[in-house]
Amino acid sequence: MKLRRFNQSGVDAFRRRLSELRQAPATAAPLELLEDERLTEVVVPEVQIEGSVFETRREAANYLSMVLQGLRPEQVAADAGLWTWLSLLFFDSVCPVVDGQRGVRNDYHYIFEPRNSRHFYRHLLFIAWQILRLAPRWNTLLLRSRTSSLDKITTEVLKRLYLTRIPCIFEVLERLYWDPERRRPRAGITGNKVTAGNLTHRLPLRISQLEKNYDLVDLNAEQLIELLGDEFSCTGSR
Amino acid sequence: MIKRVNSTGRRRIPQQNVQIEVLDGDPRSFTAAIDLSAFSAPDNAKLVMEATCAGSSQVLRFAWGTVAKPTPPQNRLLQGLSGQHVLFTLKIIDESDPFRRLLGVAEHIRPVRGGKKTATGRQGILPVELSGDLGDEPWGLEYRTADVFLLINEKLPFLRDQLRADPLVCLLIYPQVVRQILKQALSDGPEDDSPDAWQARWLGFARQLHPEGLAAPQHEDTDEQDEWIRAVVNQFCRQHELLERLIRRAGEAGWEELT
Repeated sequence: MKLRRFNQSGVDAFRRRLSELRQAPATAAPLELLEDERLTEVVVPEVQIEGSVFETRREAANYLSMVLQGLRPEQVAADAGLWTWLSLLFFDSVCPVVDGQRGVRNDYHYIFEPRNSRHFYRHLLFIAWQILRLAPRWNTLLLRSRTSSLDKITTEVLKRLYLTRIPCIFEVLERLYWDPERRRPRAGITGNKVTAGNLTHRLPLRISQLEKNYDLVDLNAEQLIELLGDEFSCTGSR
Repeated sequence: MIKRVNSTGRRRIPQQNVQIEVLDGDPRSFTAAIDLSAFSAPDNAKLVMEATCAGSSQVLRFAWGTVAKPTPPQNRLLQGLSGQHVLFTLKIIDESDPFRRLLGVAEHIRPVRGGKKTATGRQGILPVELSGDLGDEPWGLEYRTADVFLLINEKLPFLRDQLRADPLVCLLIYPQVVRQILKQALSDGPEDDSPDAWQARWLGFARQLHPEGLAAPQHEDTDEQDEWIRAVVNQFCRQHELLERLIRRAGEAGWEELT
């Protein structure tokens, strides 16, 4: 199949079908919208793409990065119709059938809103592609979830552009918050309670203080961890 | 409330000392005229210009020589930045410091001139944009790096003009807009030395508007903050005569006869 994007009518039609699916969760996904000429257009340059099921965000990220590599990334990152169309193509991945029914979540998980600062990072497929683009190496923390879910670590990091604009931040995150022995994130790093060095509260605050005084964009992970200070030493390897 | 601490003596460079022009092209490019005559720093302190777009994670960096000898790079292409709102930051960096201490910074600089692809000049405190992301809501707010935008549902383009002209539209939208933005600004906290940040500009605007000229309560007494916001919003409505204009409009339209 050729890669396509929804036009505004296509996005509206998909939004209506999502609403209907919430009312009747056993209904089939509206795959007939995918190649409706009135609702979609072929992406140029043409790209071949096939439907598949991705268990993990990493699988989705790897496939989408490969398929979309011929397109300009800054245009892909702003293409609401493209990502919304991809959500429907991979609907079994982002909204799987469980016990014969789909649990359709908020529209922004499937309908991409690139200019909405509170929604853009919640699109389940865009975020997979974006993480791999920003962090081709240090991405263990952020690509381990199921494709259909959005974990708190990912949202807490990706919603803050001042974090993702720091090149070494992903290595810092992995060194501070990933437990390599247990192969899982360290305990308590995203809890509601403010604890020393936690990811939800203390890291963003500390980074916003440091960025006023240091050129963080030019630091390596070792230097940034040292600047973060002792409270972060209890979270992971130093 | 986030407090940003200037603990290393970094100084602010006025935005007007950095004049930027963005040139159309694919990709776009830019030129910058930088005036550091009033800024004292070691001669070998490094200048770096950064460019990004509102909403983008990408930051382009351009080495610009030193304080003693500013040298624009040959390549000033804004490769990969496609948004209309390009923002620049000039940093003066202590190269002798292993942690790259900032000696001076000018943030959120908008181009003074640009081609058709680029927004230029200083915007008002509340720029208005049409948006296709609002679903069935008529309006919404979007907090971006340097500004708060009032988004109008693109299915209602006429609403943009009515915001200036129609007292009913004004009364239904603006008080709530002011209230929401001030709540967010107080929640974020003013940046202690960044008067160009939207939080600081809005809290300054509100202070001028407050009937007693009071600044926002800095401690986290939400009752007191709510009361301060209420006074500001009330004064906003009074200053713009929103109620009187609506009463006149009701009289002209004959609404009173309907009651």
